[in-house]
Formats: sequence, structure tokens, C-alpha cells
Amino acid sequence: MDHSVTTSLLYLDGVSVSFDGYKALRGLSLTLAPGEMRAIIGPNGAGKTTMMDVITGKTRPDEGDVLFGGTHDLTKLDEAQIAELGIGRKFQKPTVFESQSVDDNLLLALKAPRGALATLFGKPAPDTRLRIDQILETTRLKDHRHRMAADLSHGQKQWLEIGMLLAQDPKLLLVDEPVAGMTDAETAQTAELLRAIAVDHSVVVVEHDMTFVRDLGVKVTVLHEGAVLAEGPLDVVSADPRVIEVYLGR
Amino acid sequence: MNPATDRLIDTRGYIFLAVLSAAAVLVPILTLVIPDESAFAMPPYLVALFGKYLCFALLAVALDLVWGYCGILSLGHGAFFALGGYAMGMYLMRQIGTRGVYAHPVLPDFMVFLNWKELPVAWWGFQSFPYAMAMVLLIPGLLAFIFGWLAFRSRVTGVYLSIITQAMTYALMLAFFRNDMGFGGNNGLTDFKDLLGFNVQATETRVALFVASCIALGGGYLVARAVVTSKFGKVVIAIRDAESRTRFLGYRVETYKLAVFVLSAMMAGLAGALYVPQVGIINPGEFSPANSIEAVIWVAVGGRGTLVGAALGAFMVNWGKTFFTGALPEYWLFALGGLFVLVTLFMPKGVIGLIDQYKVRRASKKPTAEG
Amino acid sequence: MTRYAQGRAPARVQAISLQSQARNRFIETFSLLLAAAFVLMAALLIAPKARAQSPTDVLTYLTTDRFPDTERALNEIGTSGLATAPQIVEALAANRLLFDAAARKLYFADESGALFDAATGAPAAGISPDDLKRVRLNNAVRRSLNAARGALTLMSPDPARRRAAAEAVFKSRDASALPLVESALEKESTPAIRKKLEEARAAIIAADASAPEARRLESLETLKERGDQDALGTLATIAAASEGRVKTSAEAGVAAIQSRLAMWRNVQNVWYGLSLGSVLLLAAIGLAITFGVMGVINMAHGEMVMLGAYTTFVVQEWARTNHPELMNYSLFIAIPLAFLVTGAVGIFIERVVIRFLYGRPLETLLATFGISLILQQAVRTIFGANNREVSAPAFMSGSFDFGALSIGYGRMWIIVFAMAVFAALLFVLRATSFGLRMRAVTQNRRMASSMGIDTNRIDALAFGLGSGIAGMAGVALSQIDNVSPNLGQSYIIDSFMVVVFGGVGNLWGTLLGALTLGVANKFLEPVAGAVLGKILLLVFIILFIQKRPRGLFALKGRAVEA
Repeated sequence: MDHSVTTSLLYLDGVSVSFDGYKALRGLSLTLAPGEMRAIIGPNGAGKTTMMDVITGKTRPDEGDVLFGGTHDLTKLDEAQIAELGIGRKFQKPTVFESQSVDDNLLLALKAPRGALATLFGKPAPDTRLRIDQILETTRLKDHRHRMAADLSHGQKQWLEIGMLLAQDPKLLLVDEPVAGMTDAETAQTAELLRAIAVDHSVVVVEHDMTFVRDLGVKVTVLHEGAVLAEGPLDVVSADPRVIEVYLGR
Repeated sequence: MNPATDRLIDTRGYIFLAVLSAAAVLVPILTLVIPDESAFAMPPYLVALFGKYLCFALLAVALDLVWGYCGILSLGHGAFFALGGYAMGMYLMRQIGTRGVYAHPVLPDFMVFLNWKELPVAWWGFQSFPYAMAMVLLIPGLLAFIFGWLAFRSRVTGVYLSIITQAMTYALMLAFFRNDMGFGGNNGLTDFKDLLGFNVQATETRVALFVASCIALGGGYLVARAVVTSKFGKVVIAIRDAESRTRFLGYRVETYKLAVFVLSAMMAGLAGALYVPQVGIINPGEFSPANSIEAVIWVAVGGRGTLVGAALGAFMVNWGKTFFTGALPEYWLFALGGLFVLVTLFMPKGVIGLIDQYKVRRASKKPTAEG
Repeated sequence: MTRYAQGRAPARVQAISLQSQARNRFIETFSLLLAAAFVLMAALLIAPKARAQSPTDVLTYLTTDRFPDTERALNEIGTSGLATAPQIVEALAANRLLFDAAARKLYFADESGALFDAATGAPAAGISPDDLKRVRLNNAVRRSLNAARGALTLMSPDPARRRAAAEAVFKSRDASALPLVESALEKESTPAIRKKLEEARAAIIAADASAPEARRLESLETLKERGDQDALGTLATIAAASEGRVKTSAEAGVAAIQSRLAMWRNVQNVWYGLSLGSVLLLAAIGLAITFGVMGVINMAHGEMVMLGAYTTFVVQEWARTNHPELMNYSLFIAIPLAFLVTGAVGIFIERVVIRFLYGRPLETLLATFGISLILQQAVRTIFGANNREVSAPAFMSGSFDFGALSIGYGRMWIIVFAMAVFAALLFVLRATSFGLRMRAVTQNRRMASSMGIDTNRIDALAFGLGSGIAGMAGVALSQIDNVSPNLGQSYIIDSFMVVVFGGVGNLWGTLLGALTLGVANKFLEPVAGAVLGKILLLVFIILFIQKRPRGLFALKGRAVEA
């Protein structure tokens, strides 16, 4: 094992996934340092969502290594175990628990014992209220805490989901297209929110929106056809002729 | 977290429990205290009929717990109900003793008839009431555990799960129809004599069973309510609405589903156990897939995800069944079939949903009327 | 388990052959008197050559009231040239052969009780049956009697009866029939019957301990070649009764036949399984469209099958009263009609109920279950709750032999029909523009709609197609099942199992699923019994779904998640 494995938070090496002959990932390799924030871009079908699926245990890779914190083999664990290790995920389409209140959504996400017995008979930790209030503050949802999640606007749902990620307090956040369908103002606020989160968490953001990626101002990885095409600061990457070719066509 | 919805007993629940308590008090008075010739006297057959409805209501509450709150549409809950019923039936058979046609001290009549010499192992211990009651809960619970463990672990969901639960009860029906299963085959278990030393036919026993059913339904409701209002319940609802999201939050979805499924199966088993002495028979027909689907429509009619609605639906549909099969037997299946179609098309939230809608409309009208 | 299966199944085969034996004997008895004249001529023809005793001696033996004499008389009557031999033998079989012990005269009575002189066949006037005694039978005599009856028909002009007679001799292995068999062999020109006669001769010689060993061994080979249940029985008896090389050879024959029969038993299981599988396929294939392709859980699917069966009934009733000449072809009218009727009902249901429930599978399940109750009760109200009689046309009754297997035309045509329906459906989906549109709609509704496909129309037609196929299945099922309002219910769970097992959305999966379940069922039945076999299969499928939640031919990847 080389040095990068043991010091990295997330380590993907030679990961391949195929669905009925279609290769969604072909030998993807990626390393994320602890505390790092990374933006992942790439055209449709580049394998961004599949990569998220592999990391969170939804999809098992056909081959390749996926290690978390240098020791945990994510290919052997299921979604719940991976979430317990400290990997949180925000979906492309906002998925919150629509028929429950904003408060309850956060309560469910809040870091606490996940077992059936604990939730059935256990008492909430004393600081529960406080932590939820903090998150409501951060995500600007304080006035909506008793509303049903279904009644929130699209942008509010996105924030609620980010808030749920915060509540989970994971070591690594995977955020899939957080600003899709948002207004410019909301987009800017979201970037701000993510940067604030990145202070004490590692974050992987998948996004199409170049302005947003620029706002983040972090290292960028370009995926294409299931493998890494280029990696580096956005300015460098966007000057790469291969990236230009992929994005603009010949 | 949410004061309005997290209370163990909400307004609806108070009304429901009040009605149940009133029934548990009034029915014994009307039947036993008031003289028969009085206009208020309640004939014993009505007691048994309402007692039967109470058992169905408990089955409906159990089904609502898995379907309404966890999104598992079980088309096999009749199997748990029937298993509970068989466990009770076996106790009642063993109580017959030498009063059977063949007067065998240990073997029930049908075993003597089949020329069996020894009591099958499955029947051991059923002469003891506590043992039988434990089995009433354990056998459906165990089946639900094994079945659920296999199904939920492999993430069989939605209609697939519904179809295999249906196959489960169908397979059990076929099995119980066989004589060599040792549960009375076609005819099932019947000709019961007494329960805990009381004659099952006696009016007093019927009234006692009625009251027991009221208590079971009330208790079942409270247990279900306690579950769904806890954080556990919130997780279960989260699973219903967004299963994979819940999984990514770190909850073991299959454990939760399994816990709810097993609890629900045990409640269904209890309902079956109370049902059998009140109707006096249990046979393999109770496993028929159609019975299980009928129970689903009770829940749908009343309003799923409301518990009280499920019980209400069970009462309404079964009252309708009693009425139709008495007055217009030809039309009962038309009515039931029509109910299935109409409820799914026009009343997705059932009767309780209609009431809520009406309340909301009235509440929104009020301010304008005043202003 | 396997040993148990081998132990049980032969009993079944034996039962079948016993049944056909009984039927043969029945036919024999009834036609014997008719053919008596011909037999008589044949008997006269061979009489000079094979005669052992004078006809009168035979008659005398029958009047001694001693079993050995009766037996002897029976052994010789076939070659005695006696004109009344057939009547005598039949009368004895029917306990109507009487004798006057003092006068040593033999009489036989006909069914009405009238007496005839056994020597001449002329009515015997002035004799009262009360003065006569009955010729008695015991088991040994009965055996000779059967052999005699067989021998007497060996010369029949009717090939079917000669064949049956040769079989009878084969089974009796009566040494006394040997001369008759030999002479019959000389005359026989039909190869199949010659073979039967040779086998009969072989059975007699092989069982005859006094025959030369070389001939016995040669005969054993013939028996071994025959290779059926009867040959097995014969060889086993010979093996038990003989010693030395004959015993070893017979034992080897038993082993060879047993393995051959085991093979045929498997072939039979496969055949019955394919037959059951094609029934399942017919019932499930419509569901493969509505559930598999459209994702609609149609619990009323079984009722569509039932409606198809009732359509067949109505067509037949119409033909019976108005056009009896069409009776044999009523199925050909019923098939398209059932398709149209159930297809129309399906389209109606889709338009009125199901289209409002797309994307809500559990609600669809409940609503269609309601529809199934309504349809059942409607049919019960119109046609009554009892089973309705649908008769089989001539081309579907009867059977033919294939090796050791008897293949019924009914089963065969249902398999052919199922495969034809499958092929037609595959063609519609793959090669027509409707099929293309339907696949487009199921794969991406919005895209298809924006390309100008009328998705509502396609939904309705696809549902109509699935229902119509169920109706055609009903026509076929009316031939093998009771036509009652409950017909559909007995198939719905099986159909769902087939579709789920085969893999949703894949017609080939449905085909393979249906045939696999059918064959598995038939292989399980002899081991576990019909009901337990079915339970085992249900349990198997429940477990199978755990392993492969999306069936044998599962689609993988993103498309499934939607």
C-alpha cells in the first residue's frame, strides 16, 4: 500500500462498474485528503452519480478498491454501515421525508444511535434541541421548522437536505448537484454554505454549474466516460484541450 | 418534537378509546343485567357479531401499522390471523377431552377418526392456556420473522413483496387443507366446549370475550400508537416515504421493517385467537388470499396511516357485509368490488381523510365568515 | 428421495396398463360373439393340423366337474376345431356353462337364459336349467380360460383383435397356446402384429423350463427388446423361477428394462411438465404484458381467462343449437372471439379505472382485485355458480404412442397453441409498429409522447392486448379445466409466480419460467404428492425472489430504479 492510501480519507483505485455490458465506470481512480473539498465535473454519462453510488454502497463495483480512512473497505459494507462510518450523501433530486416536519427531518438525521431499540425506547440526548436549532439557523429554516417538508420550496428542500447532512455530522459529505434548479441568489448562498461546511468536513461536490464551481474555488476533477480525464484548479483544467474537446465536441 | 402529532393519544384517539370503553361497559349491562324482554336488551348473537368485528378491527390496526406507516402492503396478514386462531383452536380442542364423539381423553376427534395413535408434537402443551396464549403470539411472530428476514434483507419491496406474501398465505392454505398436517384438514377445528372452564356458548362467556376483544383492540391501538409516535415511528415513516434516503442516513431499514412486521403479525395473531372462540370454528379457508386482501380494503376504506381509521373501516365494511349477505347476497361481491375501485380512485385517504378535509374546509371558512 | 420416486412411479405406470388391460378385455367380450363366425372358420382351417383331441373329448372333459379336466379342456379347445368353441369359452367366463353329469352333455345359456346344446349350438328344447350343474372355475382354470379366449382370437380378421389376443397370450405365457401362436405366425402378414406374436412366443418359450436353453436365451433377448412394464414383469418372474444362464440373462434384462423405463418416466415427466408449463404460459403471458411490460398489477387477469372460457361455452352452445355441423370447429370461432371480448373488457377497465392509477402499483392492485370480484359475481349471476360443460372437439380427443409414452392430442394441441400465441406475441412486440410504440412508451413515456405517440391509446391497446391473450388462454383452459366463475382465481397466483420467477418485462423469461415451473412441478409430484409439490414450489419461489428479487432474467442498472 502506498503512502496515499493510508493518509487519504477516500481512496478509489481502478474502480469499474458495468450494467448489462454498459461500462459506467472504467478504472476510476481518485484520492481525497482529509479536510479537502473537491468539485467533480463532467458531461452526462461521465459516471459521476455511479461513483457516488459506489462510495455509498448502493452499487457494488465489479473490480477496484474503495477505501475510507485508509482502513475501511467500502465494497464490503452496505449503505447503513457506510453512513455510520461517517459518509453523508445528498441526492441529485432533493430527497427529504415529505410527510414529516422540518424538525423531524433533522431529528432523524441527527447523529445518534441508529438501532431500532434505541429509537423505540431511548431518550433523546440533552443537546438535541440545541443542535437542531443551530442547524435551522445555518440553513435559514428556523421559521419553517414546523412545516411539512413537502410544503417547502425547491431551494428550501435543497437546504434542508444539506442541513440533514450537517446533522449527520459525517467525516465526508457527498453532494450531488446541490444548486440544480436554484436561483442565482440561492446558488451563491449555497456556495457560501458549502464553504462554511468545508471548514471542518471533507466534501465532494458534483456539479454542472461552472459559475458555482468557480465560486467554490477548489480543486476540480473532470470525469469522462467513467475515468478521470483531468485534475487541478478550475482555470488549469478548463484550459486543457482534452476537456474542451469533451465539453464542446470536435 | 412536534407537539401536535407526537402525543400518544390525540383527539381522535380519545374519542376512539372512549367509544371502546363505553362498549366494554354498556354491552355487558345491556346483555346480562337488563331483562331479555326489555327493548334495550342486547341479544347474545349481536354480542358475538360485534365481538367478531372487534377482532377484525384489531387485524386492520395491525395491517395499518405495516401498510399505512411502513409502506409494506401485506397480502398475507390473514395467515397470521389464522395461525393465531389455530393456536387458540388447538387449546380449545384439547379442552374438549372425553366429551368428544370418540371420547378419547387426549386425541381430538379428527385424529381418532384418522386412526392416529399419538398426539403430534405440534399439539404438545396446548392443554395449557398460558402456553397456548404464548403460541398465539409466537407462531405468527416467528413466521413473520423468518419471512420478513428473508424478504427485507434481500430488499424485496412494493408489489413483489405483496405478491410473495400472497403466495405465503396461499401455500399455508394448501398445507392446512391436508389431513396429514394434523390440524383437522378441510374441516379445521370446531365443536369447542369450554375456555378456561367456561362454556364458550354461554352468554356470559360471549360477553367476557367481547370485553376482552375491546381491551385487546384498545391495547393494540395504544401499542401501535406508542410505536408510531416514537422516534422509531418517525424512522418507519421515513422508510415508507424514502427508503434509500433512510438507509443513507445510517438506519438499518431491514431491522426496522422486520420489527414492525413481526409486531404487526403478533397483533394479527391475537386478533385471530379472540376471533375463534367467538365464531366457534377455524378452518383453512381463513388462509385464503381473498381474506387478506379484504382486510386491506378495510384499512383503505377507513383511511390508512391513521390506526383509528383502520378500525373504523373494518367495522363499516363488515357491517356492510353482514347487511348485504343477509338482505342481498347476490350483490355483496358487487358492492365489495365496487368499494375497492371507488376507494382507490376517489378516497385515497379513506373516511378519516374525508373528515379531515371537511374540518380543514370549515376551519378555512370561519375567518371569512367572521370578517 | 430418488429411490422413493422409482418405487412409486412404476406403480402408476402399472395402474395405467392395468386399466388398458381391463378395457381391452371389455372390448373383447363384446365383440367376441360378433366375430365368432370368423374365428370358427379360422379354427376349422387350422384344426386338421394342430388337432390334439377330438371335439367330443373336449366336451366330455367339461362335464367331469373336476378342475384339472376343465383346465385340460380349455387348453385344447382352441385347437379342437369345435364350432361352438367361442360360445363355450364365453359362457364359461360368464358362469353360464352348464352340464348334465349323468348324460355327460354340455349346454350353454345365453344372456336371456335360453339353453343351447354345446356340441351343435342348436337350441336345447325340453331341458330345464334346474337339472343341470354349473361348470365351476378356480384360479388355475381362469388362467387357462383367459389363454383360451386369447388363443381363439389370434386368428381374428380384425387386426386390432389379433393384436390384443397376442398381447393376452404374452401376458398368460400359457405353454398350451404355443402351437396356436406358431400357426398364427405363419399366417400373419401385418409386421406389428407379427412382432407381438413373436414376443408372445418368446414369453412362452422363455418361461418354459423344459425348452432348450439356447432358445430360452434367444427368447429372453426378444423380451428385453420389447422393454415395457409387461416385459419387465415377465422377465422378473422368469429370473425368480430359473437358474444358471437363463437367470443371469433374465436379470440382465430386468436391469436393462428398468433403466429404460426410468428414462421414459423422465421423458413422461418432462412431457407432462411441458404440458402444464404451456398452460401456465398461456395464463401468464398476458400478465407478462400488463405486469411485465406496463408495470400494471392486474389482479383481474384470472377473470379475463375465465371470460375467455365462458366465451368458448357460449360459442359452443350457439353452435349446438344453431349449427351442429360447426361443433367440431367451435374452438376456431371462440379463439378470435374470446380475444375480442376480453380485449374489449380490458380496454374498458383500463380507460375507466387503471389509467387513473398509473404509478401507484399498490392501489392498482386493490382496484383490479375489486374488478375481479365484480366480474366473478357478474358471471355467477348470468351463468350460475355451477361448472359449465365445454366439450372437446374430435381432433383434441384420443392419443398416439410415442415410444413407451402415450401422447394425448388435447395436451399436444395446447402446447402447440401456447407456443403459437407466444410466437405471435413476440412478433407483435418486435416487428409491428404497435409493438415499437408500446416499447417506446414503456421505456420513456414523456419522450414517446413528445415524439407524437398517443400514449393513452397505446396504454389502452397494450392492456387490451394482454387481456385478449388471457381470453385466448381461457379458450384453451376450457378444454382441461372446469368452466366456473372461480376458474381465474386458481391461475392468478401461479401466473404471478411465473412472471416474477421468469423476470419482469421479459417475454423469454416468462416462457422459461412457465416451462421450468411446469416441469419442476411434475418431477416433484411423484416424490411429494401434488399439493405438497405445489407448496414446495411456492416456497422455492419465495426463496428464489430473495436471491434474485427481479427474476431469472433481470434487467440491471439505472433503468430499473426508475
